[in-house]
Amino acid sequence: MKLFKDIELLIKRPFLQEFHNPTWLFVSGSTPLMYLVLFMPLLKRLASGPGFSSGNVIQLFLPGIIALLAFGTGNFAGFSTIFELRNGFIERLRVTPASRFALLMGPIVSSMVWSLIFATVIIGLSVPFGFHIHLLGLLVYAILLILMIILFSSISTSLAILTREISTFAAIVNGVNLPLILLAGVMLPLSLAPHWMRLVAHINPLYYVVEAGRALANGQIGVSVVTEAFAIMVPLTIVILWWSMRIYRRAVS
Amino acid sequence: MVNDDLVLKTVNLKKSFTTKKKIVEAVRGVDIVVKKGQIYGFLGPNGAGKTTTLRMLTTLLPIDEGEAMVAGYDVKRQPGEVRKHIGYVSQLGGADDQATGRDDLILQAQLYGVSLSASKKRAKELIDALQLSEYADRKVTTYSGGQRRRLDIAIGIMHRPDILFLDEPTTGLDPQNRANMWQQIRMLRDNGTTIFLTTHYLEEADILSDYLTIMDHGKIVAEGTPRELKRQISGDAVIIKPKQEGKTIEKIQKYVSNLSFVKDTRVEGESIHLYVEDGTQALPQIFSLLESKKIGLDTVSLAEPSLDDVFLKQTGRSLRDGEKKTEGGARG
Repeated sequence: MKLFKDIELLIKRPFLQEFHNPTWLFVSGSTPLMYLVLFMPLLKRLASGPGFSSGNVIQLFLPGIIALLAFGTGNFAGFSTIFELRNGFIERLRVTPASRFALLMGPIVSSMVWSLIFATVIIGLSVPFGFHIHLLGLLVYAILLILMIILFSSISTSLAILTREISTFAAIVNGVNLPLILLAGVMLPLSLAPHWMRLVAHINPLYYVVEAGRALANGQIGVSVVTEAFAIMVPLTIVILWWSMRIYRRAVS
Repeated sequence: MVNDDLVLKTVNLKKSFTTKKKIVEAVRGVDIVVKKGQIYGFLGPNGAGKTTTLRMLTTLLPIDEGEAMVAGYDVKRQPGEVRKHIGYVSQLGGADDQATGRDDLILQAQLYGVSLSASKKRAKELIDALQLSEYADRKVTTYSGGQRRRLDIAIGIMHRPDILFLDEPTTGLDPQNRANMWQQIRMLRDNGTTIFLTTHYLEEADILSDYLTIMDHGKIVAEGTPRELKRQISGDAVIIKPKQEGKTIEKIQKYVSNLSFVKDTRVEGESIHLYVEDGTQALPQIFSLLESKKIGLDTVSLAEPSLDDVFLKQTGRSLRDGEKKTEGGARG
């Protein structure tokens, strides 16, 4: 079908371009490694303290890092959108009969696939350091991550179309990034946080993903944090994707 | 479509934009008829509404009012069908910087549903035709301005559109590349492609257009073949710039208007244009008249009427002035 062919073509393009960009590959691949190598050792001493019930630091820490990776992938999607708006590439595609949905989803799916590849590599590398793989749990987590990448990529792409300017866009993305990351307990579990912080965290979609990720990494699939995460992420992603499609269709100058 | 010869027809096309406080009428009722196999020139200063018109015709911008048929389809009701049959090269181009020229061409054809093998074949054909073979397998970022433009055009015609829209195709090119591009555009026309071309360069419109429309402030102010348009301004143009500024020009205008052979006069900045039947005969008489009135002259020149004179006659302004001020390519 034409729609699938269009999506395939528009995924392949950015995917292969990134594949042929060694700098991008190196940086994207090494960032999560740095967390593992340069941050995780700091947690060793804390492992017996509050918030680290399992005692296995990497088991607790890795799902958060993977969520962070996916979150970043989504958030930065807008940078290439701005670039492609400015050099006329998006306009060129909009004059072709290619499906509008494919135009929006192509780059999003491409970065999603990259994210999952990196996540798999990091998980593989973490096994010798004591990460215990619960395959089914991780597969369910992958679905949550996909939803999250679509969610944040859609927001980021829409913001890019609305601002059309690198400096404004970058300021907004950076401004939103930090509180969302800190309020998700990516680095340290929010069970260490004061009550008000834990309350505020509940408006942060990333928080639910991280919480569910930790449970899923331990193989706990039917628990309430997982159900909660899906109950929030599925409708939210659908609504945002619909909104994003509207903005994309109207993206005219 | 009733007439097989027509590729594009609009009736009373309109578009306005709402900016912060006021409504800007960008296109105020435009009627266009483009015949098959023509280069249809769309000339006007920046901001005349050329690009807005083009964007409506290429389905990028919703039409406020009026009708538009392109390649046999209604732009408002069948935008998908229109897209299948048109090619569009925007001012920005649109080539993918990170791809090689060849890959970019192949992607374009595939988006029109052409098979991979047929896309490759067509890409090779155009790479040869547009003299891109030397660079085809390099990344687009390494291309020069002229090479990039040729690739943009190749992208626009990959799927053999019924009509190709070119928005300011030579803006930013040096004279040599511009001449080269003109040649390519003519070659496309000779091979049967209908071309709709916007430009704010007088020479370009004059040299390329089979039929020409001049637009200003969202309206068509003149149309015809370049020759027909220039014939409206019959004879020659004498351009006089007096030494003293200020009132002198008005004085000259008053004096020369009484000469029987001066058909029309127009003040433009610090000079005055006189339209006369025969310039060489007129000049001595003009000189002696101005000498008798003690008016010193800075420069005098004689020219055949240009499209600029046509524009000047219709709008009271010179297109050339605007061209200088806005050189560097703001959107029109």
